[in-house]
Amino acid sequence: MADNPKPDAGAADPYDATQWYEVKKGDTLSKIAKEIYGDASLYPKIFEANKDQLKNPDVIQVGQKLRIP
Amino acid sequence: MRKLSFISVLALVVALAACSSQKPAAEAALKSAQDAYSRVSADAQKYVPDQARAIQDSLASAQAALAKNDYDGVLKQTQSLNTQISALGAAIAAKKTELTTTWTTMSAGVPKMVDALKSRVDILSQSKKLPAGITKQTVDAAKAGLASAATTWSEATAAASAGDVATAVSKGTAVRASIVNMMQSLNMQVPGGAGAAGS
Repeated sequence: MADNPKPDAGAADPYDATQWYEVKKGDTLSKIAKEIYGDASLYPKIFEANKDQLKNPDVIQVGQKLRIP
Repeated sequence: MRKLSFISVLALVVALAACSSQKPAAEAALKSAQDAYSRVSADAQKYVPDQARAIQDSLASAQAALAKNDYDGVLKQTQSLNTQISALGAAIAAKKTELTTTWTTMSAGVPKMVDALKSRVDILSQSKKLPAGITKQTVDAAKAGLASAATTWSEATAAASAGDVATAVSKGTAVRASIVNMMQSLNMQVPGGAGAAGS
C-alpha cells in the first residue's frame, strides 16, 4: 500500500519527492511504522522527520500530514 | 535539308555550351551546400537527427544528379537545400534551448527523488520484517539500482558540464525512469513531475 498522498503537496515543485502520510483514526506512530516499514520499532524515524509538528511521539492528530522518510 | 541540319547542329552546340556553362555553377552550388551542412552536421545529428537525415539524403541526390550531368537539377536541388540548411540552424538552437530547460529542471529534481528513495531503502534495510508486498530482494534491487543510478547521474552531470546537454538529458531521463520504477517497487509516492516509469 502506498503512503497517503498529501493534498496539494508538491504543487509548486513537480519533483518534490517528500513522502506523506495522513493520520487516520486509531493511528499511532508505531502503527504507521509497521504499515510502511513493516517494523513498528522504527517509529522514531517518523517522529524525527516530523519534529517541527510533533512534540510527543504518542500524540498525533487525525488529519495530520506526516513526512515519511 | 542542309539548312535544317545546320540548325540542328547549331542547337546541339548551343545546348552543349549552355550545359557546360552550368557545370561549374552546379559544382560550386553543391560544394557550397555541402560546406554549409558540414559546419552544422555534428550538432544537427545530435539535436535534430530527422532533419539532418533529410538533408543528407538531398545532398546525396544532388551529388547523383551531378554525376549524371543534370546540372539544372543540381542547381534546383541546392537552392532548396540552402533553405533547409538555413532552417537547420534555427532548429538546432531551439532544440538546445528546450533541452537546456529540461536539464535545468531535471538536475534540480532528480536528486530529490534519489534522496527520498535512499532514505526509504536505508530504513527498510533496518526493518526486522518488511511490509506487505516488499521483499528483501526488492530492497536489495533498489540498493543496487541506486548505485547504478548514481553512476549514470554522474555521467549526465559531466555531459552537461561539457556542454553536451543532449547526452545529459538522455542519461538523466534514464536515471529518472529507474528511480520511478524503484520508488513504485517500494510503494512510494512518485512526484508528479517525474512522470510514469519509462516516460
